[in-house]
Parts: sequence; C-alpha cells; structure tokens
Amino acid sequence: MLAELINPYYLQVASFVLINIILGISVYIPLSTGQLSLASAGFMGMGAYTSALLTIHFELPIVLGIIAGTLVAGIMGVLIGIPTLRLQGVYLAIVTLGFGEVIRVLFVNWESLTKGSVGLSGIPHMGREILASLREFGFNPQSLGLQNNQFIFLTIFFLLLVITAFIIWFFRRQHSSRVGRAFAAIKLDEKAAESMGINITYYKVLAFAQGAVIAGFAGALYAHVLAYISPADFAYHRAVEILVFTVFGGSEVIWGPVFGSLFLTLMPEVLRFISEYRYMLYGLIIIIMMAVRPQGLIDVHLLELLKSKTAKRRQKYGAGNQKSM
Amino acid sequence: MVLEIKKACKNFGGLSAVSDVSFHIQKGEIFGLIGPNGAGKTTMFNLITSMFPLTSGDIVFNGENISGRKPYQITEKGICRTFQNIRLFPKMTALENVMVGEHCRSHSGVLKSVFRTKSQRAEEDRIRKRAGELLAFVGLGDYGDVAAENLAYGQQRRLEIARAMASSPQLLLLDEPAAGMNETETSDLFQLIKKIQKQGMTVLLIEHDMPLVMKLCDRIAVLNFGKKIAEGTPSEIQNNHDVIEAYLGREEEELHA
Repeated sequence: MLAELINPYYLQVASFVLINIILGISVYIPLSTGQLSLASAGFMGMGAYTSALLTIHFELPIVLGIIAGTLVAGIMGVLIGIPTLRLQGVYLAIVTLGFGEVIRVLFVNWESLTKGSVGLSGIPHMGREILASLREFGFNPQSLGLQNNQFIFLTIFFLLLVITAFIIWFFRRQHSSRVGRAFAAIKLDEKAAESMGINITYYKVLAFAQGAVIAGFAGALYAHVLAYISPADFAYHRAVEILVFTVFGGSEVIWGPVFGSLFLTLMPEVLRFISEYRYMLYGLIIIIMMAVRPQGLIDVHLLELLKSKTAKRRQKYGAGNQKSM
Repeated sequence: MVLEIKKACKNFGGLSAVSDVSFHIQKGEIFGLIGPNGAGKTTMFNLITSMFPLTSGDIVFNGENISGRKPYQITEKGICRTFQNIRLFPKMTALENVMVGEHCRSHSGVLKSVFRTKSQRAEEDRIRKRAGELLAFVGLGDYGDVAAENLAYGQQRRLEIARAMASSPQLLLLDEPAAGMNETETSDLFQLIKKIQKQGMTVLLIEHDMPLVMKLCDRIAVLNFGKKIAEGTPSEIQNNHDVIEAYLGREEEELHA
C-alpha cells in the first residue's frame, strides 16, 4: 500500500526542488547585503566537480567529498569576493557572470581531468551508497515493504529535506541577529552603515562567501544525487535560472527564494507543455517582475499580512471556543 | 582635550575644500562649526570620520592620531555622526536603527548568533533595552516599531541622534540637526543637546540656525572658503569684525534694511 504510493519519479523531482531551494538561497544571501551575484552556477560547478573527482579518483567517502567541494567553493568565494567589493549592482553582476563562464570553460577544456564536455559519469550515488552501507548491517528495504529503488530515492529526499530545513533555519536565525542587522544596514545604505561602526568589507565578503559555500554545497549534493555532471549543467542558463528563482519569489525574506525555487521547478514538471519554453518564460518573468513587483512575489508586507490574518483567524477561533465552553 | 585638528587640508582635484584648519575641542563642551554654504563644514566632518582621507594634516582624538583609519574604526574609537541629509535605514524600524548603532559595542558573530548562546541572548537583550532607552531619551519612546521612513521629519532627525548615541561616542558630531525644523522642534532640540552634554558627551555641531548656535555653544569656529577665519565664545564671534563681514554682517544688514 505505502510502497505503491512512493513513486521514484516524484521523489526525484522533489529532490531537485530542494537542491534548487538551496541554490536560490545562495543568491539571496549576497543580495541581502546588496550584492547581486550571478556566480552561483560557477560555485555550484566547483563544488560538484571537486566532490565528484575526489570521490571517483581517491575513493573518498561522499561526505568528505561534499565537505571538500563546499570548502573549495567557499575559498573561491572569498578570493572573488574581495576584489569585487568595489563593484556595485550591474557591474558586479557582469563580473560574476564572467566568472561563471570562466569556470565552465575550464571544465570544458581541462579534458585530462574533467573529460571535457562529455562530463563525468560514474560518480558515487548518495542513495546507493547509503543503501550499500546499510546492507552491511543486515538491513533490507524489503523489510519495510520498499523496493531498492524506492528506498534510495526516499533516503535522498529525506536527507535533502533535513539539510534544506537546516539551511533555512540557519539563515533565519542569522537574519534576526547582530549579523543580520549589519547585512540589512549595508543593503539599505552602505555609507551610513560604515559610519555606524560596521566593518562593511568584512560583512560583504562574509555574505558573498556564504553564498559561494551554499552554492558549492548544493553543487556537490547535485553531483551525488544525479551521479553524472557535465559543464553544461553549470552554464549561463543555470545562472539565470537560479537568479529567476529569487527575482520571482522575492529577495527581501528567505521565503522568497524558497517559494520561487519550489514553484518554478515544479511548474515545468506539472505542466509538461511549458517545459520546452522554460527559458522564454524565465525571460518573461524577469521583465514582468522588474516592471510590476521588483521585490518579488513574497515580501515583508505580504508576510505581515499573512501573519495578521492567521492571528485574526486564531482569535476568532479562540473566541468561538470560549463560547462553546 | 578630546579632539585636536592640526592643519587639516583637503583638496578635490584643484579645488581646496579645507585648507590649513586647526582647532581643538575640550571635553564636555558644545563646539559650534559655522560658516556660509560651501565653507567646508561638512567636508570637515567627513575628514574627522575618515569618509574622505586628509590631503595633509593630522586629526588627534584623545591623544591618538586617528587620521588614515577606516570609518568604522573611528566609530569604534568613540566618534559618531549624524548626516545633513538624513541617512537612516528607511525600511528598518526605529528600534532596529538604534540597535544597528550599537554594532561596534557588541560582539556576537555568525555562530553565536545562529546557535543563540547564552552570552548572545544576554547581549541582544542588553542591546534592545539600551536602544529602547535611547529612543525614550530623544522622545521617540512610543515609535520603536515604526519604520524609519514613516516617521515625521523632525522625528527622523532625532532618531539619527539616537542611532549615533547608540555607539556610546565620547564625541558626537551633529550635522545641521535643526535644518527644516520649526520653532517648537528647534527648542526641543536645544533641550535635547543640553541633555546630551549633561551625560558627559562632547558635541561638535554644524548649524545654520544662529540663535540656536549662540545659545547652545560654549565655543565656535567659523569657516569661510575652507579657511578658519575666527574662533571664540559666542559673544566674541558675534563681535568679530571678519565674521560680521563674511557672514553674520550680511544677515544684520538685511535685518536692519
């Protein structure tokens, strides 16, 4: 009964939704200090290739591979973040887009290591590895009434769910703290923030590097979920796609990119006929959103509205309860 | 002596905005910096807070040469400013604006903030409490939850003062705090600045409202075309021939005409 409900295809789509949410957050974090970075696809690629190559050639455990990929992307984030500090708005966007292309071309041309545009296959698969190690302890998915395939995709899904929830929790906590206030102050008025004693160099590089770490982490996860990566996965299209998640969903609160990634990843799956026109649609979304609602669908006001509505409903409900008592 | 300006010069290309200006401010006094528009007063503020580097000269704060430091380090040392054209964080609430001001007097980093350690929570409570006190101090006690952009003009000016005070400065720089205020607001501002002085802060004030400056300041320096043309007590300044000619004189003639 349960087993029939678990469809590996749906689980895989759900897993990609989660990875895309993490990628959306990787744009949102630098943006929360006013830095528009299009480098997420590049950092994602670095994380993916680093982890894939280490696990393939050195038989490193996946966990260590992912950590290494995340670190490499983070270090690169600091290295890119420092010289681009002076750049603002569209100039930073162009430089970071250029960086992404450099990374992609590197993957295409460094054939001895990356196998060029053919890509890397045979990357250790996260779900299968987990199943294999569980087998050693005498575990069998059949005991849960699941097929191997179902178990694998279910494990990946829940693992990613926990990771994504942790990342959202982490950045929500950071947002409502001294660090979050410094980010917001820098976004609203850099000069005033500096005059109020905020080390803007430190916080801008911190935000940029956090974005790189998150993107690299998502990339490493991507490599071990798909088991196959190629330079095309981290090209210009991906950079724009990740940006659209945040532009569409909203860049003021973390729920913006979360919603944007969820909606825009599911939509082409649900409405199959749209899938082919995906990038056309992205272009359209950017134009319409910039003209009509530049802060994205979900902003602070919308959240407050929702909060006050649920509060009212609760009051009503509470009052009704008291009456019945 | 809290602040000592030694032969400060600032050139923008060929234009000399401030040239060879020296003055010093005693602890606990209210020092006025006046002069016609474009005399270099705000440039002087930007030099003291390191927003611009000095072309030559030195700025000494509490016996330490602070020229060449980053603006945020100046704030850490104990100098904080307000802006002539209000620069609050518009989308943040009044309370959050003041809490940002306390940034350099608190320490919680990313990990402490995310995992809400005991010291972090204590620090947040302290910051929040003090921000509330400062809002009450400037008369905005009931406006903590209002976004800064939705406050009235005079309230925004006072919020800027509270935000600057949040970094616990020894020297507070106020850039035209009375600009655009009506008489009642100006007299409230007078009381507020006097209250700030009583708390032991030294105040350096740029202001065009002459009655306010004369009532408020212990000493005054006058700039004209980037040069200091006079320094002294309000009565000395009012009777100084150069000043009357350059600045106040024009006003008096208009008044008597």
